[in-house]
Amino acid sequence: MKITVNGEMHDVAVAPDMPLLWVLRDELKLTGTKYGCGIAQCGACTVHIDGVAVRSCQMPVGDLEGEVTTIEGLGQPQVLHAVQAAWVEHQVAQCGYCQSGQIMAAASFLDTNPDPTDADIDRVMSANLCRCGTYPRIREAVKTAAASLRGA
Amino acid sequence: MRRLITVTGLLLSGAALASDGHGLVIKTPPVGSVSRTDGLQAWEKIHAVVSHPRCVNCHTDEQNLPMWSGPEYADVRPHGMNIHAGESRIGAETLTCQTCHVTSTRPNTVPRAAPHTGMEWRLAPAEFLWFGVDGRTICEQIRDPERNGGRDGAGLVEHITHDAEKKGFITWGFDPGAGREPAPGGMQAHLDDMIVWVAAEMPCPE
Repeated sequence: MKITVNGEMHDVAVAPDMPLLWVLRDELKLTGTKYGCGIAQCGACTVHIDGVAVRSCQMPVGDLEGEVTTIEGLGQPQVLHAVQAAWVEHQVAQCGYCQSGQIMAAASFLDTNPDPTDADIDRVMSANLCRCGTYPRIREAVKTAAASLRGA
Repeated sequence: MRRLITVTGLLLSGAALASDGHGLVIKTPPVGSVSRTDGLQAWEKIHAVVSHPRCVNCHTDEQNLPMWSGPEYADVRPHGMNIHAGESRIGAETLTCQTCHVTSTRPNTVPRAAPHTGMEWRLAPAEFLWFGVDGRTICEQIRDPERNGGRDGAGLVEHITHDAEKKGFITWGFDPGAGREPAPGGMQAHLDDMIVWVAAEMPCPE
């Protein structure tokens, strides 16, 4: 079946009930998206489908409608997405395992809510777990990214 | 609209028909053959369904919080992960329900994963309040077009057949999969009960 990931079309020969996460990592070798729990409890596998955050471990690839963006397609090392730049500025990552999911969740959220309150940020980001406990830096980085995207 | 007219016609005429779209049999009793007692008995079975945790957990009030209750949970509490569905009831203000609850008609097979249906995951409208509400109050809400999405009796029947076509939330409630306790009965029995209750002019317990 054909799927579009980061602007590129791929033809993958997989079972339609294979989770998108497996396709991304094992078939397309896009390993920036992480496997955490496999049951939508941790958020590590978050990608965008037509710009909206989705847990890729829950999406059967046969039911996929829309274009996928992974952390590899959000920005580039020389042209970081505002959320990625804020992550660097605040030195958010500790072990880093959950961070691509955190960044994808934040980027999708700021598309629809460019001026979030702390409560808004906590509501969105509470579903993305970080075992290193980088939550205070995540919140600050989201606020910095929001201001950057607003042109402040 | 065509389907609504068809269902209305069946309710008037008395018939049994299987529609190829939803796979259910519409067994309509002849006009005048259903007593109020029959209707109340049918309501009790409908109530057993709509008061089940599979249904009430997403029929919550204007606080817009989905609930976690039922035998799968140690206690009754709001959905974990600080989830708030917002006034949109789909989480559009912060985190959409569909971020985790994808739209798929495939069976739910993975324990403790986010369940999915063929309809986009969301809370029911706040006026369809079932969580923590007694049966009589639910009954009066369901028969009130002002508070049931503008549905008359035929509309309530069509609501079930439409859900069966889409493999939506009602269908999922009877077949939640992955170790979750289903609502009692099944889609056909629920449809049968709804038709009887509607034919009895939707009586509610006193």
